[in-house]
Amino acid sequence: MKLFSTQILVPVDSSSVLQGALEVKHVLEETIARFNLAGQVSVVETGALGIYDSGVVLAVFPDDVYYGGVTPQDVEEIVTEHLLKGRVVSRLVIDKNLSTKRLVEKETGKGQQKIVLRNAGLIDPESIDEYIARDGYGALAKALAMKPEEVIQIVTDSKLQGRGGAGFPTGLKWSMVAKEPSAEKYIVCNADEGEPGTFKDRLILEGDPHSIVEAMTIAGYATGARTGIVYIRGEYVLSIARLKKAIGDAHEYGLLGDDILGTGFSFDIEVYRGGGAYVCGEEFALLESIENKRGTPRNKPPFPPQVGLFGKPTVVNNVETFANIPPILLNGSEWFKSFGTAGSTGTKVFSLSGDVVNRGIVETPLGVTLRELIYDFGGGVKGGKRIGFIQTGGSAGTVVSDKYLDIPLDFASMKAYNISIGSGVVLVASQDVPLLPFLAEVAHFFWHESCGKCTPCREGTLQVKWMMDSLVNRTAAPDTLERLARLLALLNDTSFCGLGQAVPLAFESAVRNFRGEFEAALAESHVPEPSQEEAV
Amino acid sequence: MLPTKTIREETMELNSEARPAGTSERLADTDRVFLQALVEANRVEHHGRISYMDILFELEHRYGNSLPSPILAEVARLVDTSPAQLNGFVTFYTMLSTAPRGRHVIRVCTSGPCHVSGAPAVLSALKQLLGVELGGTTADGEFTLEDSSCLGICGVSPAIMIDEDAYGNLTPEDLPRILEAKRNGGRQ
Repeated sequence: MKLFSTQILVPVDSSSVLQGALEVKHVLEETIARFNLAGQVSVVETGALGIYDSGVVLAVFPDDVYYGGVTPQDVEEIVTEHLLKGRVVSRLVIDKNLSTKRLVEKETGKGQQKIVLRNAGLIDPESIDEYIARDGYGALAKALAMKPEEVIQIVTDSKLQGRGGAGFPTGLKWSMVAKEPSAEKYIVCNADEGEPGTFKDRLILEGDPHSIVEAMTIAGYATGARTGIVYIRGEYVLSIARLKKAIGDAHEYGLLGDDILGTGFSFDIEVYRGGGAYVCGEEFALLESIENKRGTPRNKPPFPPQVGLFGKPTVVNNVETFANIPPILLNGSEWFKSFGTAGSTGTKVFSLSGDVVNRGIVETPLGVTLRELIYDFGGGVKGGKRIGFIQTGGSAGTVVSDKYLDIPLDFASMKAYNISIGSGVVLVASQDVPLLPFLAEVAHFFWHESCGKCTPCREGTLQVKWMMDSLVNRTAAPDTLERLARLLALLNDTSFCGLGQAVPLAFESAVRNFRGEFEAALAESHVPEPSQEEAV
Repeated sequence: MLPTKTIREETMELNSEARPAGTSERLADTDRVFLQALVEANRVEHHGRISYMDILFELEHRYGNSLPSPILAEVARLVDTSPAQLNGFVTFYTMLSTAPRGRHVIRVCTSGPCHVSGAPAVLSALKQLLGVELGGTTADGEFTLEDSSCLGICGVSPAIMIDEDAYGNLTPEDLPRILEAKRNGGRQ
């Protein structure tokens, strides 16, 4: 391996490409060559840093200087000043932690703790060597030297809960599959990230694809499966490409395929693409889709650990859940439990979007508050405005007011305070964003994404949409809120799968926290007279 | 690359929606050979299994962003399923279409984060610029306008995708330039 005195990291991901990262990288390489620095300075493509509102970012190591908002025109200055003369171009310097540093400094001891995102933005995601250099595949080697049940025990002891939204204990899920006598079992990675406002899995897949390959292989060894399948959104073109490359490289290194590391254990991973259906994030709908069927849910029980893909025992875990596995194996369950709260161990990756100064991805121990996320990491509301409302957990989540800013977010607070974490969405809307049209859009989303299998969801989501539209258009009937409440209860009680059952969350919480807005719309409403024809 | 014209020309006049997959249409030999090779290659990639999605994405690329029914009928035969089953699969997923679409498909994200940061303005500007409603295709056959659920790039909302390219932090003023570049075959 060639040694360079200076490394410049250019985060290249779906978002930074939009801001011109590839152009900057190209000019940077040209300029470095022009100044004969190619022997000393290497330019490395990395995955996303999770910073989105600082334009194109360059990280210079070992100087540990981060430049933001870099344009191709700035590149020559950086090369001549910083690289040649050693003078930092201060006008472009950004705080690499943004405001997360303040989190770290807080007395609570909470900070941005990177477990899941340990490599994202630091390594070249297309280089297996760089992943290995950061302890990559060390957890697999360690696991293969243990008994499968010992591996599961560590995961169980860590109290890791699924990060896809439901929070099911991962160790328990694995042990259920391990117990099944079937010769054929499957490990499925749910990478159909479709919950509006969630973009963390994309960052993991684009920034650290090998962590998923390694974790799935460990899961295969622990449960006795030989086949892994990643089901990934068709829109995630770059994620698909990087994951496929990672799988190919792991094969070449003997870390995937037959007789892994000479242990006799064989495992392989395939990539299946989704076709743009939100419901396929539901585990049974996802399995149906892999089986070349319409993505509709199945009856439960039996659950996937007993009767899953192709009727065989199947582990279905989210991308983020898998990304936790290698560090847990390497560092032990006690280490993992030292993060988060007693009931909710480890970290959570939050996707911060909407009207905040710094949109992006932040990984913090569970138990963080919305105030810390929005103000300390996010830098507050754009334009110094007040918060109008916050949607947590995604469209299938809760709409809350700023009264909820100081509630610790963990799996327990979901029940205690009626606030969901779901997949980690924190969508902030300023005081200028009207609530009802937003909710109408959420209703439209569910109506559009309902798979149509069961009547309550198929017809109920349409009714919710009509009611919300009537509130927006000020044509709502006086008893709209009562009818809405009955309808939402019905959806929750009788929908076939989690999609329909989760629809009420946003609307019920919005009515609870912003009743005044609904009542004002009702007061202004005039029910249109039915026309002659309709009356007949 | 095999010639792709044959089927496309035949099916331009054919109303795929009114005619379910399986309607017998003549299929050129080149198409038949291509489909056979595509399905076999997929079978190898998936160790004896098959991914319809992989195959259909590939076919959409080849046949101008839609799936002509004679092609679907042949695929159904090759993967040993009924045309009705395959049609049911195709019509379930929003990224697949049996109706003819334009050369470029524009997907406008209308979900929460994009809604909050300006998607409604982007969508109405696109409707005006293209002169079509949602689901419509421009008269010159260049663009089909669709709305989409979350594209997963909420850090740069509001966002759209045109074919496989994503665009973020959009304002209505950015759109004419982007459309013009796409029309001319470029990225930006």
